[in-house]
Amino acid sequence: MKHVGRLARTSAVALLCSTTALFAMDFSEAPMLTEMVEAGQLPPVEERLPANPEVITPIESVGVYGGTIRRALGGSNDHNSILRFVGPQGLVRWNPEFTAVVPNVAEAWEVNEDATEFTFTLREGMKWSDGEPFTADDVMFFVEDLLNNEEFYPNAPARFAIEGERMQAEKIDDTTVRFTFAGPYGTFMNELATPLAQEPVIWAKHYCQQFHPTYNPNVQDLVDATEAVEDWAALFRLRCGEVEAPNRWSNPDRPTLDPWVVTEQAYTAGATQVVMERNPYFWQVDTEGNQLPYIDVFNNIVSQDNQALLLEAIAGNIDLQRRRLDGLADRPVIAENRDAGGYEFYNLTPSASNDMAIHLNMTHKDPDMRAAINDRSVREALSIAIDREEIIDIVYQGVGEPWQIGAVPEHPLYNEQLGRQHTEYDPDRANELLDAAGLDQRDGEGFRLLPNGERFAFNVNYSAETTRWGDALEIIREQWQEIGVDVTSSGVERSIYYSRGEANEHDFMVWTAPGGLDPTLSPRNVMAVHPQASWFAIPWTRWYLSGGTEGEEPPASMQRRYELFEEYKATGDPARQQELFAQIHQIAADEFEVIGITKAPQMTGVKNTRLRNVPGAMPASWMYPDPAPTLPQTYFFAPE
Amino acid sequence: MLRYIVKRIIWMIPFLFGISLVSFLLIQAPPGDYLTTYIATLAESNEVLSQEAIDNLRERFGLDQPLLVQYFKWIGNIVQGDFGMSFEWRQPVSDLIWERMALTLLLSFATLLFTWAVAFPIGVYSAVRKYSVGDYVATFVGFIGLATPNFLLALILMYIGVVYFGSSVGGLFSPEYQNAPWSMAKFLDLLSHLWLPVIVLGTSATASLIRIMRANLLDELDKPYVDTARAKGLSEFWLIVKYPVRVALNPFISTIGWVLPSLVSGAVITAIVLSLPTAGPLMLSALKSQDMYLAGAFVLLLSSLTVVGMLLSDILLVLMDPRVKYD
Repeated sequence: MKHVGRLARTSAVALLCSTTALFAMDFSEAPMLTEMVEAGQLPPVEERLPANPEVITPIESVGVYGGTIRRALGGSNDHNSILRFVGPQGLVRWNPEFTAVVPNVAEAWEVNEDATEFTFTLREGMKWSDGEPFTADDVMFFVEDLLNNEEFYPNAPARFAIEGERMQAEKIDDTTVRFTFAGPYGTFMNELATPLAQEPVIWAKHYCQQFHPTYNPNVQDLVDATEAVEDWAALFRLRCGEVEAPNRWSNPDRPTLDPWVVTEQAYTAGATQVVMERNPYFWQVDTEGNQLPYIDVFNNIVSQDNQALLLEAIAGNIDLQRRRLDGLADRPVIAENRDAGGYEFYNLTPSASNDMAIHLNMTHKDPDMRAAINDRSVREALSIAIDREEIIDIVYQGVGEPWQIGAVPEHPLYNEQLGRQHTEYDPDRANELLDAAGLDQRDGEGFRLLPNGERFAFNVNYSAETTRWGDALEIIREQWQEIGVDVTSSGVERSIYYSRGEANEHDFMVWTAPGGLDPTLSPRNVMAVHPQASWFAIPWTRWYLSGGTEGEEPPASMQRRYELFEEYKATGDPARQQELFAQIHQIAADEFEVIGITKAPQMTGVKNTRLRNVPGAMPASWMYPDPAPTLPQTYFFAPE
Repeated sequence: MLRYIVKRIIWMIPFLFGISLVSFLLIQAPPGDYLTTYIATLAESNEVLSQEAIDNLRERFGLDQPLLVQYFKWIGNIVQGDFGMSFEWRQPVSDLIWERMALTLLLSFATLLFTWAVAFPIGVYSAVRKYSVGDYVATFVGFIGLATPNFLLALILMYIGVVYFGSSVGGLFSPEYQNAPWSMAKFLDLLSHLWLPVIVLGTSATASLIRIMRANLLDELDKPYVDTARAKGLSEFWLIVKYPVRVALNPFISTIGWVLPSLVSGAVITAIVLSLPTAGPLMLSALKSQDMYLAGAFVLLLSSLTVVGMLLSDILLVLMDPRVKYD
C-alpha cells in the first residue's frame, strides 16, 4: 500500500521495483529443457525469456533443478488450491510480507493524481507458455472484447467498474497499456493484487480469439458442435477457463503465464490426480540467471476424505500443504509422525481476526428482540458473560486469546478498543447491566423476559461442518444461563444456514471474522457491506448496496462509516486512506456490534524437510493466497 | 416370455420420466440453489462475490427461471443426448459421468462376483453342516464382516498399507495410469488395485448373503422332495445342488437389481475414503452443492440401471425358479 501511495503522491514516476535490468546476464535452464533445445523442440533460453526477466532473490539460496512437488486437492471446488501454489500471475502481486503491492507481469506502473488512470508497463519480449508473444494486445483483448462485451458480462463486474461504469483501456504501444475509470479508484492496485483480479492477463488472445465472434465469424459452428454449450460465452469459458472455476485447469491447450502448466492429466471431475509441468517460457530468473521454476513437476493428488489426506501426509506423500491439514485436532497425529514421514511444520499467521464471531442480529424482525439487541449495554453484558478462557481451553486446546474483532496488534490499523473491549469475564456485572436495561423480569426457570413477556432466548443455527462452533455454543449456553439468557443451538447444512441469514431470520450467526491482517480488504464486520456475511445487519447491507432503494435505512453511525468508506475507496493517498479506515474502526469499536470469542489461532502446515526457500512463517489468507506470494517457483529440493 | 419383456420395457419409459421429475424436484427441494452453496463456499475463504457476479451466474445457469421450465429444458436436452452443464465443474455433464459410471459398474460387478463366490459355498456349507465347528467359524467371521463399517475397514487396511508397506493410499490406478487412455496395461493395473475395494465393499454383503443362503437352504433341506430324491439314490452333492440350492438361490437373483444403487449410495463413504473414481463421491458432492444437472444425471442413470437390473432379476428368476410365473 505504501508503494502505491508513493506513486500516487509523486504522480507519474515509472518504477522498477524489485527488478533491475541485468543485460549482461547469462541465462541457464533446467536440464529437461536443455534436452529439448538440443533436440530442436525449443528455442534457446535467451529467446524464451523476456528482454528484462524479473530477477527474484531467493530467500535462502539459489536452487537446483528437478523433482516433483506433491500436494493434495479436495474432490471438487478445490481448484483454488492450485491457484494458491501456481499463483495468480496477475499484473501485480503482494510482497511476501503482505504489506505492499509489487510488480509481477507488469514491470512498472503509474497512477495519475486522482487515481482514475493506471498505466502499466509490460515486459518486452515476454511469452505465453506456448511461445507466442505476450503483449498489450492480450490485455486489450480482455478489456475491449470481454469486459466491455455485455454478452460476456451482462452486468458490470464490480472489480473493474466504478459507479457502474466499466473500465476502459488504451494501448499506448506493445508493452504499455492504460486503464481508465469513470471516477477515482484509490484501491485499484490492492484489488489487482488479490487472487481473483487476474483477468487482464489470463486470456491469451491468439488462442482464445477462436471462441470469440469478433474474431471468428463461424464461432456458432463450434458452439453447436460442443455439448452442453449454448452460446459463445459459455464455449469461451469452457475452453479458455475462468478465473474462479475448475475449468481454468482443465484444458492443457490453453496458454498461460504460470510457472507450471497443466498437462493431459488435468483437473476434471474424473481426475484422481492433476499433473502440471514447468512452463518453458516462464519469465522469472534467479539472481544467477537460472530460469525459474526449479521444480519440474507439480503433482496434485485428489483426496476427498480428510482422514485419507491425513494418512497421505503422515506417510510422507505431501511436500507442502496447509489446507485441510491445519485443523487443531490433527496436529498431534501429524507431529507424532514427523520423523517417519520426513516432514516438518511451518507456521501460518491467519489473516482472520477472530475464529468465532457472534453476529447478533441488529435488524431482528421481532421488535422486542431488536430493541434488546440494539441496546449496547445488553450486548456488553452478553459479551462479558462469556468465559472465553474456558472455551479456548476446551474447544481450542488452549491455542487462542480472548478477542473481539479488528486488526491484529502488529497491524498499523490495530485498535485496542475494537480488539479487546468487554472480553473480561464478569457475570455479576453482566447481570447488573441486564437488570438496568429493563430485562429484570424472570420466568419460572430463572430466564429473563422481554417486555412482551417472552423469554429472552436465542435460537441459533451454525454450519454443521464446523463442529467447534457447536461445541463452543454449548459452553456459551451454560455460561449465559448464569445471567438468565437462553441459547438453543443446532447444526445445519451450510446452504440452509446461508438462506436463513439472507432471509434475515436469524437471532445471531456464527462465522469466522476476517480483518486481522487484511482489515481494509474485508471490512464486513465493522460495516454492513457484505450481502452474504455482514450477518449483524443484512437489511442495512442491502440498503447500502442498492443505493437506498432496498433493505432498511441504517442508523447515522453506519451511514457515517459508509461515507468514510466511499472516501477511502476514492482516495489514492495511503496516509489519508489509513486515517479514514482508523475512523471507521473507532466508530465500530464504539458501537460494538459484533462479539468475538478468540483470536484466530496460529496455523501450521506440513513441509518436506528437504524443501528449501520456504519461509518459516507466512500469512494465511485468501486475499494473500498462501503460499503463492512467497513464490513457490523458487522452492527446490535440497539434494539428499 | 418375449411379450412380457417388451411390455416391461415399454412400461419403463413413463416410469423413468416419473423418476426424473421426482428426483429433479427432490434435488431442488432444499432451500437455496447452486449459487447459494457457491457463495457460501467463497465466503468461507473470505472471497466476496458481488451482486453483479451472482446475477451474471444466475442468468448463465438459467436459475432465474421457474422450476418446471428448468426441468423440461433439462429433460428435453437429455432426450437429445445432452445432459447439460455441471455448475460446479463448469464442464458438460456427459464428460463427467460416463467413465465414472463404467468404473462403478465394473466395481459393482466385481463385488457381486466376489460376494457370490464367497457367500454361496459358505452358505451351503453352513446349512448342510448346521451347528458344526465350520458353521460357527463361518458365521463368526461373517458377523464381523457385517458389523464392521466398510469405511472403517478401508481406513484400517489403508493404515496398514501406509505404515507397514509404504504403499500409496486409495484409488483404482497407479499414478502413471490415472489419466492415461485405456490399454491392456491400464486394465491390468486396475485389476491389481480392484481387490481392496472389492473386499471392503464385499464383506458386509457376503455376511448377510451367507445368512440368507443358510436360512433358505435349511428350510428346503427338510422338505419331502429332498427325502424323495435321497431315497431315489441321488448322490448327496448332486441332490443339494440340483434342487434345494436352486430354490434357495432366489434371494441372490432377486437382489441383482439392487446391487448397483446400494453400491452407489451405500458405499459413498468407502469410495470417498479410498478415493475411488466411482459415481458415489461425485454424486454426493453434486447433491451437496445442489449441482442439479450433474446430480440429476446420476439419479436418472442409476434409476434406469436399477430398473434394468430388476428386469434382469425377474427374467433370471423365471429361468431359475420353477415356482415363479410371469403372467
